[in-house]
Amino acid sequence: MPQFESHFFSSLIFWEVLSFGILFFLLYKYAFPGLLGMLEEREKKIKDSLDQAERHRSEAERRLKEYEAKLATAAKDAEALLAQAKERAQRLMEENEQRMTADAERIKGDATREIETERRKAIQDIRSQTTDLAMMVAEKVVGRALTEGDHRRLADEALDALAKSYQSRN
Amino acid sequence: MEESPLHAFELHDLIPLVPAGVDISINKAVILMWVIVGLVAFLMISAAAARKLVPGKLQNMAELIVEFIRGIILDTMGEAGMKYFPLIATLFLFILFANLLGLIPGSYTVTSQIIVTAVFAVGIYGLSLVLGFSLHGMKFLGILVPPGTPGWLLPLMIPIELISQLARPISLAVRLFANMTAGHVILGVLFGLAISGGLLIGWLPFAFTIAMNGLEVGIAFIQAYIFTVLSCVYLGDAVTLHGHSEHAH
Repeated sequence: MPQFESHFFSSLIFWEVLSFGILFFLLYKYAFPGLLGMLEEREKKIKDSLDQAERHRSEAERRLKEYEAKLATAAKDAEALLAQAKERAQRLMEENEQRMTADAERIKGDATREIETERRKAIQDIRSQTTDLAMMVAEKVVGRALTEGDHRRLADEALDALAKSYQSRN
Repeated sequence: MEESPLHAFELHDLIPLVPAGVDISINKAVILMWVIVGLVAFLMISAAAARKLVPGKLQNMAELIVEFIRGIILDTMGEAGMKYFPLIATLFLFILFANLLGLIPGSYTVTSQIIVTAVFAVGIYGLSLVLGFSLHGMKFLGILVPPGTPGWLLPLMIPIELISQLARPISLAVRLFANMTAGHVILGVLFGLAISGGLLIGWLPFAFTIAMNGLEVGIAFIQAYIFTVLSCVYLGDAVTLHGHSEHAH
């Protein structure tokens, strides 16, 4: 094989080492720092962007939680307020009802008493007028034979009998 | 005209140079080395000069290569290995461009010379030994004893490990040289067939030549990659020594 011809070995070794050395020096000095730096810079930028996005996301999440909590509190407050209002309305209604019942009761009682009083008075009036009327009639019929007291006694007796018969009829 | 398939590997002194009795005559391989240095330096330096946050095509390609080599180093040596990035990257680029430029008809495959691959392999292996002894002192001889070896196995293990260590530079050099040589021999044979076959049948081996050339591009990449990965593994072994110092950091 021509590759084993040792005549070229010294030349190839020399030029290989020299070429590699020069290439290494050139790349080491002028290419790799820029390229690696660029990669690192981009990596850093991407990482920063991701970090920032992550920060924004967690911030948004935190805000959302905050709002949700606020919303829940507001809902609870509203519920409590509503319950309170309902309770108060209920109480007012009950109070009103009680008061109105009592009023009605009182008015009814008053009216009953008044009616009773009026009735008594009416009965009294009727009785006294009837007595007077009866006396007048009796005077016309009997003349002045009976005294004022007799008239009255007789009329009362008649009326009592009338009232009794009336009551027993009812 | 019948040509030996090995004809493509022959070198001839173009400009004889023998200063102080050392023959450093210029031949085709040497010129290809210069081309490699010029091309790689031009591409990488102009890519680095762009320094744009949103890279252009050249910068993108250069960054792809840099990222690729960084990945190899981080996988095999860890963060501490980034110290050797310039060396590994230069090695990869030199071998890759040597392999690729050799595929251009009429040029020369530098890496098909056993002495060229041997210099790289011995250089890397020698560097790993120097690093190993300077970082770990005599403890570096522990590389011959895999962790967890029982004492009575030592007389057996040490020779085996010694042989495997010595095989490292040899296999590194021969793998690259043999792959490059074989590929070009096959290309040469197929092309020879295409020429001697004439128009009637010659198109078949010629089509194979084209297909093989595509395959050879892949092999050029793969062999550069393998050489680089193994170099990283050997250096990493020396730097971390059974991964001990990696835990210590």
